[in-house]
Amino acid sequence: MLRANLKWAKKNLPRDLKIWKELISEVDWKEAGRSTLENLKATKDRIVEDMKAVAAMTPEERKDRLINGEKHLGKLYRKGQMAFVRREWRGVESTARDFVGWLGVWAEMSKMVMKDPISIAEGLFEYRWLSSYLSLPAFVDKNTLGMRGPHLTIAHELFRPVLRYGADSIATLLMADERIGNSPKLRKKLLMFDEMTMSQMMAGFPNLIGLPYQLMPVFMVSEIDQLISIPYIDAVESYGLPADTCPVPTSECGAAIMDALPHCGLGFISTSTPCDGSTMATSYQDRRFRLPTYPLTLPVRYDDEDTLACGAEDMRRCIKWVEDLTGEKWDWDHYFTVIKRFNEQTQYEVGKWEVNKTPYPQVIGPAYELFRKWNYEMDGGLDPRVMKTFQKVDRAMLQAYEKKMNPYRAPIRHRAIIWSCPAHYYANFSNWLQNTWGIGVLVEMESLNFTKMLNTDDKEEAIRDLTRLYERMVMRKHTNGGYVHVLDELWKQVEEFNAEIVIMYQHVCCKTMAGLQGLFDEQARQRGIHMIWVEHDLMDPRTVSRRDMRSKVNSYMMNVFQEEPLDPSLVDFEDDVTW
Amino acid sequence: MKDLKHLIYFEKLLENSNNELIQQAKSEGKLAVGYTCFHMPEVLLNLDKCFSVRLRAPKTGSMDIATYYMSNYTCEYCRALLERAIEGGLNFLDALAGVDACAEMNRCTENIELVADLPGEKFFVTHADIPYKVEDFTVEHYVTQIRNRVLSRLHEVYGVDISDKAIRRAVDEHNRVCRIITEIGEYRKLSNPPITGYEFHVLNLVTYCCPKYLILDKLQETLEEIRTRQVDPKPWFRARVAIVGSEIDDLDMTRLIEEAGALIVADRFCFGSFPGREVIGLNDHEDVLTQVCRHYLKVSECPRFMSDEKILQRRETADRLAREYGAEGIIYEQIKFCDFWGFERALTSHIQAEEYGHPVLSIDRPYNARSSGQLRTRMQAFVESLEIKRIQKRKQGGERTC
Repeated sequence: MLRANLKWAKKNLPRDLKIWKELISEVDWKEAGRSTLENLKATKDRIVEDMKAVAAMTPEERKDRLINGEKHLGKLYRKGQMAFVRREWRGVESTARDFVGWLGVWAEMSKMVMKDPISIAEGLFEYRWLSSYLSLPAFVDKNTLGMRGPHLTIAHELFRPVLRYGADSIATLLMADERIGNSPKLRKKLLMFDEMTMSQMMAGFPNLIGLPYQLMPVFMVSEIDQLISIPYIDAVESYGLPADTCPVPTSECGAAIMDALPHCGLGFISTSTPCDGSTMATSYQDRRFRLPTYPLTLPVRYDDEDTLACGAEDMRRCIKWVEDLTGEKWDWDHYFTVIKRFNEQTQYEVGKWEVNKTPYPQVIGPAYELFRKWNYEMDGGLDPRVMKTFQKVDRAMLQAYEKKMNPYRAPIRHRAIIWSCPAHYYANFSNWLQNTWGIGVLVEMESLNFTKMLNTDDKEEAIRDLTRLYERMVMRKHTNGGYVHVLDELWKQVEEFNAEIVIMYQHVCCKTMAGLQGLFDEQARQRGIHMIWVEHDLMDPRTVSRRDMRSKVNSYMMNVFQEEPLDPSLVDFEDDVTW
Repeated sequence: MKDLKHLIYFEKLLENSNNELIQQAKSEGKLAVGYTCFHMPEVLLNLDKCFSVRLRAPKTGSMDIATYYMSNYTCEYCRALLERAIEGGLNFLDALAGVDACAEMNRCTENIELVADLPGEKFFVTHADIPYKVEDFTVEHYVTQIRNRVLSRLHEVYGVDISDKAIRRAVDEHNRVCRIITEIGEYRKLSNPPITGYEFHVLNLVTYCCPKYLILDKLQETLEEIRTRQVDPKPWFRARVAIVGSEIDDLDMTRLIEEAGALIVADRFCFGSFPGREVIGLNDHEDVLTQVCRHYLKVSECPRFMSDEKILQRRETADRLAREYGAEGIIYEQIKFCDFWGFERALTSHIQAEEYGHPVLSIDRPYNARSSGQLRTRMQAFVESLEIKRIQKRKQGGERTC
């Protein structure tokens, strides 16, 4: 690997240094000095203001602030700043809990760097997306904003395996990348698959490493840094792709065109999941990857059991293809071990829903949704360490439930469900809903996936179950196979979770959801459900900004509910460049 | 050239989804089965007393109601059909054979099912699952879907004869139409063809939208006419082009292209003849339904197919057609908001230009093209660029000769 690292340095360092030199020479030092002074002044003003606010408080208010933390979180944002102006004061106990979690974030990041410091450092120069991961602590902060007590610990517990999974994936990618680490050992066992494919299949190949190709360079990072996808989108749109396609495949194609994806892997499993855009992205990526590719294309109308034979056969052939490509043999014992673990995890997940259906929901907020997507779905029982997380979270959740605790500083005033695909550039939107308006998001559509216990003793049925699982993966379960899965399903969930509000994401490029827009609207009115439509463009905040998204909710809450916000400082603020 | 005898008659048939031939067939007790996509094997909707109607929404005006149901950023073809269905323009249908191929069309079909409330007493909508690649097990899957979702439903609801014999009969009739259209289409290879791209589009659309048994004689007559049609000594067109892309059922689109001076010599789009008008060959030793289904999967050029060989097939077909029919350039088009063709057009238009050496015009277009001044300008510019290329080529050839 060291030889590859040196080769990279020899090839790129002179050029990169030249660019850096040019960048430095172009800096307007007067402007930089003025801006620094302005920032210092703003910081001073903020401190003075904070001190004055505390001085003006009654002793009870001061005590409340000391114990329960601050109430006005909008103050943490400053126009034009990527990070918060400071960390949130959550009260003594919760701040201590947060500090422990914060240390955990740095621990995972440090572990990643220590795996291969040279490759990671070179990766920072080679790939623009990698530097966005340096803002992970800020990402965790914004997704836990307003949380208190054991719920804060739960959120950190949920983030830990997500960060570990992400850190492991990044390190593996860079170490295997033929341009950077080029590790022959890793390259021999690395199989790439489309990030829209689940990884449970890898349970049958314990000696191989399966990595979702675009997950780290495009998909996950877009939830961390709202601006990261813009260059990819612009690149492929300049190439000729219409601007109305979904930003996920669009960004992935853009990343392929810009060569922003590491070059590695023995082969690639592409997929038709979950939508038409994803299906089409393969032809772009193929031209960059130039890897042997197996298109895993499961039937769309998955409720029809007649389609299962085709899906299962495709799954079998995909496994055979991996065997032929890698020389590895499918290991049933290992597969069943992992799937048993995954089944156990599914039971824990269902347990969370059951608690959230009660009048005292406990696991709410973005951490839960992100964990589900980035660990429960993507890792799928492969990493045994995650079981501890499930157990700890379950224990803490049940204890909090018995005490009828509230997860946030702000009380839950409304029970809500989020439907349709979420805006990646506003991963913490449910946090804002709760902190500003007391809208507690009990569950999001993308979390409500397949819950059947997968077969762990009959090989034929196990393959069929694996197919059923893949057919019902995130997004696909709802948007494929007929309107009942997303339209009728919503009303069912609204009833089960006893929700009064549906935050209906209107992803302006998702034609699958757009095609049912009128029926959603009509049926919500018939049922007397408050449906708040919130437009977004998934990975492109230029089309609909975070601020625009908030204004939709603000407007509804003020005009229809005629309510006052719980935190007026969060109603309107600018965060166009905030991570 | 002298006008084709039946052209105005054919054009008139295309002015309404529920044209006089459909009404005639219905009055004879036939069943109208609507469909929208090539993935639904047309020939199988012509069994026994059924006749297929590939749905269009000619003269579409406002799409406000459909836009409420499907938003303003979905395919206009889908919205136009929904609007037409809600208005009552598709009330003649006895069944709608949908495929879950593209999400937007699937949603359109679902909205028709839930909102439009078509009056047929036994009217039903069915959805078939369509594979993304062509392999033995996906062909089998396709056959099962078509049998269970389409044929069995027609048999159960209307008592339609779906036997092998009935399928063979339908294939025979289908093949007669295909032979006529193919022979007419072949004339486009000539340097001064006795048929225009617009006329061909009219004839071909009629075969998709009318009961076949009612148009065969006039089609045959038109073929005879074309065989002996006198062409003008000086060709009217300035360049020859092939069109590749998503559905075009809008005659104004082809008219607009030809008004700009480009003769359309190859129609590789949905509702075109490549694919769609190939003869279906049947043997006697294999299940007939399987043979028909395999034919449709193999000849399909839909970008939804994502296996390597199908991706390559699409590129090779466009290249082959352009060369065989003497097209000087290719127009890659997509209807606005079509995801499949949006991705395909952007990438393949580069590939055709850079790797296959074809001049390419890449456009997206509305469902109704007539009013688009921008499209007209782009077509004119493309024709000019092809003329310039021709002149440059001639010059270079001349210089080399010198």
